[in-house]
Amino acid sequence: MNSQPFLRTFTAPAVLCAFGFLAAMAAVLQFSLRAYIPGSLEPGGFTLANFADLLKPLYARVFLDTVWIAFLTAASTLVIGYPLAYALVRMQNAIVRSILLVIVVTPLFLGEVVRTYSWIIVLGNNGFINSMLRDLGVVQQPIQFMFTTFGVVVALVHVTMPVMVIMLAAGLSHIDRDYEKAAASLGAGPIRTFLTVTLPLSMPGVVAGVTTAFAWTFSAFATPQLIGGGRVNMVSNLVYQLGFASFNFPFAASLCVAGLALTIVVLSALRLAARPLENISPH
Amino acid sequence: MKRFLFALFVLAVAVPAQAQDKLVISIWGGSWRDLVAETVARKFTAETGVPVEFVTGGTIDRLNKEKLAKGSPESDITFTTSHIGWLYANDGLFEQLDLGKIPNASNLADEARISPFHLGAWAYVYTIGYRADLIGDMKFESWNDLWKPELKGKLAAPDFDPSHVIAVAALLSGSDAAHWEKGQDKLKALKPNFKAFFTNDANSQQLLASGETPVQIVLSMNAYYMISQGVPITVAIPKEGAVLGIDTVAIMKGSKKVELAYKFINALYDPEIQAQIANLKKGSPAVLNAKLDPQIVKLPGVFSTAAQWKQQINIDAKLRAQKTAEWRKWFAENIMN
Repeated sequence: MNSQPFLRTFTAPAVLCAFGFLAAMAAVLQFSLRAYIPGSLEPGGFTLANFADLLKPLYARVFLDTVWIAFLTAASTLVIGYPLAYALVRMQNAIVRSILLVIVVTPLFLGEVVRTYSWIIVLGNNGFINSMLRDLGVVQQPIQFMFTTFGVVVALVHVTMPVMVIMLAAGLSHIDRDYEKAAASLGAGPIRTFLTVTLPLSMPGVVAGVTTAFAWTFSAFATPQLIGGGRVNMVSNLVYQLGFASFNFPFAASLCVAGLALTIVVLSALRLAARPLENISPH
Repeated sequence: MKRFLFALFVLAVAVPAQAQDKLVISIWGGSWRDLVAETVARKFTAETGVPVEFVTGGTIDRLNKEKLAKGSPESDITFTTSHIGWLYANDGLFEQLDLGKIPNASNLADEARISPFHLGAWAYVYTIGYRADLIGDMKFESWNDLWKPELKGKLAAPDFDPSHVIAVAALLSGSDAAHWEKGQDKLKALKPNFKAFFTNDANSQQLLASGETPVQIVLSMNAYYMISQGVPITVAIPKEGAVLGIDTVAIMKGSKKVELAYKFINALYDPEIQAQIANLKKGSPAVLNAKLDPQIVKLPGVFSTAAQWKQQINIDAKLRAQKTAEWRKWFAENIMN
């Protein structure tokens, strides 16, 4: 007798979706191995030329840039998001906690494009930051934030922040406060307690947050497209340009396959490196 | 029981009739949809009593959808850019047109007769648009002026289609778009002047309006829209001509309403409708007998005579369809990186 009679029923939609995703991935893989015929929507015969083209310095550099931007974004989001998540979980005042929660979660409702456009206004040559710096006499000429990696990372950090904070808050809320009290009763000050008890115990949340932020950023499209202005490109932008602007779907598909493979490799390496941290447990 | 059967009969007769009594138009969203809705669609419905329904989407999204629906198209008529129209035509998605059923098409400009499958609906140019208030008294009398060292880090161009600047560089190097390789060195020399590349019309407008890129290779209609919004843009037409752009109309192969579609296209080429379109979008009519408002005629980039059409740089749409991917790839590898 089946001990979980509803298991099949409950998993059926997920299995169906999985088949759909697999079919789509198979189509992308198949396209990546076909030749591009100029002026036609139909791909030609099978070839490995698309993957050989990926080795050109331009495309290899976009992959490296993508990993670098995803890393910088994940690291910056962690550094800024951790104190916010800590305050969200530990703040005694319910009103302040609610305000913090609203600040953290609200950007999720705005959508990536709207948030990115707001950053264009802030980072532009005549934007908020440059106008302020000029008015204060700090700079004479505007500092170039737009179309730079720095500008893209700043906007991506904002886009990614809610996800990171929510995951860190979940990790922090699972820490038993008795361990911190025990450390304090044994003479550890607040900083030592944080560094030797709270921080290590929150590592599962940190690893989950960083991994998610990295994967989330790796596939970013609208933000690098608008802030990068064609000067800073990530893999998704290249896929768009080749597939949707040049109709070279086979090459765009090969970029997708390579991007997916790279994501799997990087995330696997990240999880492997973080395994000792994830296993930290007081029990 | 009799009542039930009668109701069933009424439904069976009424539903297909309702489904047939509308013409479905595939077009870009926003102001493009409104443009057609307020002009030709209104006239068509008034004349035939047939309502028009719009299916909107991006250029490539709509192309992909129709490719998937081949033989049983989602729309009866498609508006798309001239070179993208060739992709539809090459894939057998367009009906071959019988010009005898479109009497108003006899007034079409030669350049608007793109192929046996698709015809120009209206035209515009890609040319130099600039913020005179931000770059001083610089003038753009020739495309060569874009290469001035003073413009270092001030120029923007479309990232989705470099064909305009590629054709210009070829022309300035004594060649043409078909032999674009001769303009490669010239184009590489322009690299320092590029500051950014825009993704779409909104992005282009934002870069000019904010002054982020005070000089742009800009779509004339976009520039005039921004001017109407108070952005002080000057539209310059270089002596070599601006780069001609044509949006086209075609009947989808497999459409069940081909006759209505012909009537719609004929209404599109009505001189009054063409004048309305030119007035609303500050573009050029596809027919030569449209009576344009004198205020519109004098705008740089708006042309109404056969001679004016011929003064523009016209990249063959079929060549562009074949070369866009190659051009885009070269541009990304050599200019944008």
